[in-house]
Amino acid sequence: MNTLQFFRLLAGVNTRILRRHILAVREKSFLMVSVITLFVVGYWFAGYTVFFMGFHRLGELPGMQGMVVDRMLYLFFAFLFLMLMFSNMIIGYSTLFKSQETQWMLTLPVRSLDVFRWKLMETTLLASWAFLFLSAPLMAAYGNARHVSGGFYLKVFLLFIPFTVMPAAIGCIAILIVTRYLHRRIFKWVLFGVSFVGIWCAILFLKPMQAEDLEKAQIVAALHQLLHTSRVAVQPILPSYWVASSMIAWGEGWSGRGAFFFLVLLSNAMMATLVSVTLSRHLYYEGWSRNHSQGHFELGVPLLDTPISLPHTALVERFVNLWPRMHHATRALVIKDIRVFWRDTSQWSQFVIFFGLLGLYVLNLRSVAYDRNTELWATFVSFLNLGASSMTLATLTTRFVFPQFSLEGKRLWMIGMVPYGLKRVLLEKFWLSSVCTAAITLVLMLTSSWMLQIPGGLTLLFASTVVVMSFSLCGIAVGIGALFPNFSSGSTANRRDDNPAKIVSGFGGTFCFILSLIYVVIVIGAEVTPMYAGFAVGGLGERAQPWGFVLSWIFVSLLSLAATTIPMSLALKKVESLEI
Amino acid sequence: MIRTEHLTKSYGGLVAVNDLNLDIPQGQFFAFLGPNGAGKTTTIKLLAGLLKPVSGRAFIGGYDIQKNPVEARRILSYVPDMPFLYDKLEPMEFMLFVGQLFGMGRAEVVRASDELFDVFGLDETRRQVIENLSHGTRQRLVIASALLHQPKVIIIDEPMVGLDPRSARVVKNVLKARSRAGVTVFLSTHVLHIAEELADQVGILNRGRLIAVGTIDELREVSGEKGELEDAFLALTRGEETASELP
Repeated sequence: MNTLQFFRLLAGVNTRILRRHILAVREKSFLMVSVITLFVVGYWFAGYTVFFMGFHRLGELPGMQGMVVDRMLYLFFAFLFLMLMFSNMIIGYSTLFKSQETQWMLTLPVRSLDVFRWKLMETTLLASWAFLFLSAPLMAAYGNARHVSGGFYLKVFLLFIPFTVMPAAIGCIAILIVTRYLHRRIFKWVLFGVSFVGIWCAILFLKPMQAEDLEKAQIVAALHQLLHTSRVAVQPILPSYWVASSMIAWGEGWSGRGAFFFLVLLSNAMMATLVSVTLSRHLYYEGWSRNHSQGHFELGVPLLDTPISLPHTALVERFVNLWPRMHHATRALVIKDIRVFWRDTSQWSQFVIFFGLLGLYVLNLRSVAYDRNTELWATFVSFLNLGASSMTLATLTTRFVFPQFSLEGKRLWMIGMVPYGLKRVLLEKFWLSSVCTAAITLVLMLTSSWMLQIPGGLTLLFASTVVVMSFSLCGIAVGIGALFPNFSSGSTANRRDDNPAKIVSGFGGTFCFILSLIYVVIVIGAEVTPMYAGFAVGGLGERAQPWGFVLSWIFVSLLSLAATTIPMSLALKKVESLEI
Repeated sequence: MIRTEHLTKSYGGLVAVNDLNLDIPQGQFFAFLGPNGAGKTTTIKLLAGLLKPVSGRAFIGGYDIQKNPVEARRILSYVPDMPFLYDKLEPMEFMLFVGQLFGMGRAEVVRASDELFDVFGLDETRRQVIENLSHGTRQRLVIASALLHQPKVIIIDEPMVGLDPRSARVVKNVLKARSRAGVTVFLSTHVLHIAEELADQVGILNRGRLIAVGTIDELREVSGEKGELEDAFLALTRGEETASELP
């Protein structure tokens, strides 16, 4: 069987499978489908409106014409390229080396090279579809702001093909080399190292504007500063430069220049693909075999290779032993949960990305001149920070806490059969996740408050709010996770891979996220109200009526108590009578 | 039909398969036995070309699985212990897909599938998507798909897990019939009576080494046990186990 026949067969089967998945939407809950549809339409509409207004305003800046807009595009595509590469590396590792389908394909009478080629295409699609979805309103707004013709969108769509192929090819080259030459047990450390270096480079090259620059209150000077600090994104050697330049040129009607950069991008994407396919001839099968043949990690130095327990194993136990009065069953569950989380590639890899983005967020807070501006602006920024931290917390709990109960899947019988029951399991998950998320968000809040130079009183208010919110959001996530478990995605006879991301994408996950967001919005609304009531009557925010704060805090406490206890008690009642 | 020469595979410091030499002729039903962790699955993956040996070679139908993998796999069927199926396909769609991957024409696949569905009792499941099938039914479907392209060598890892007695009987009968028709069957199992019932030759692997190979009678003779295969197996592997593992 030749390559084309193999691809045609696989394409046919995958089209059929996709059609079945689409048809299966009819069987899904109407609420879930409606919520997702609303979210998609809402995102496109809101995204388009915000981008269009932004492009319009920036385009009107005196002396700048489209420079700021163009620079934003260069920056956008530079970050996007990095994210696509990272996303392709994670998905590529999974599809090329861990998937059961790949193992099956490697036993078929086809070349491993063809399997690699197919999986490269699959990786590109899986890692990049969201890019098209997310950037569609941006492209539409840009085109409309530039009053382009319909052909522009077709050209941009064609431009995106090599732009998504190139990071996929580069990501897969990296994965091929890593799996062939690096032991998988040190892979995670390498990934942490790369993330650290990435963030460090971002700090170095993307130095944010300083408060002093904004203090000048000269918008043009500040924008010049912005253009200066973001110059790293306009290096002609970057693929993101080619795609942005091509798009800008087509937007301006310079067809020749647009086509030139399109061809530069296309030829480089083809070259990257050629390199990855050529490398795969030598590295793919070797890497696959090596990846599935690795035992204990050895450095090759006899003294260093003497059997020792891995340090994190002992650390987990030492950490849990800090609470000597913890019940032995709870202790066992905590140790198990921490170990399983740490060893689950799909969990910690996304954890790294999540905190990498958080790091960039905190880093960029330096650019917000909190204490040098008006009090209204300062208060607005500090509450904006609370909002961002809370939304982050809601995402964190939905993504990482909600799937915990479902992840037990068909193993639930084992812990359900111990004489302490599933109630203890649920409570352990609640306390463990609450303590961990509270610690993370408290650090985030204190750091960001310090960077924004928020006064002590407000910092205390925000810090206590995020701690309370951590418990409530974990209560919602654990409770809804047990009330609407998604065992089918977690473990079936046909799958070895428990995928938390798939669990979250079900009805329960969507419901949990919506509930969490509603809770966050109400809490922030309640805390903002007395502050802005002070402004409304002409007073200063911090001098607003204290009873307003007291009332809002009582309301927030009661709401948080309800948000924690209602889903948790319903869930505890459910697991009591759960048929395992 | 299946031949290994000094086949060796190690995981880090652990030698999972150690200098394995096998020669299984055409039409032989070979049962591969061994305690947990003996290296049976690793051997099977080496034979299927999924893993690369650190030294030695494996041949399927005369083809070196490392040097001519496509040719070797054309005449080979491998059924792993955790087989893969496309959940959203129907059984016949899956059979068509597999058949075409092996270069069979559509009409040929349909005809062969009809026969196999009849034999394996899969007729009633034709219009159901695979995700709705029970574990035993999925297992029967996997085995049926493995037989579709008339392989000359079948390598099968723990095929009876999850099968009800009737299905297990069907699988045993089909494999034995294929073996009599000239197909070489390499079956790895923990269920000793299956080996006793079906195998022409039995190989026992322990800690990566082939410690015994021969007919059931030859194994009884070597082990000094005259009872069932289980006694011979325990006697042969006793020296390798710790006292706590074997009372």
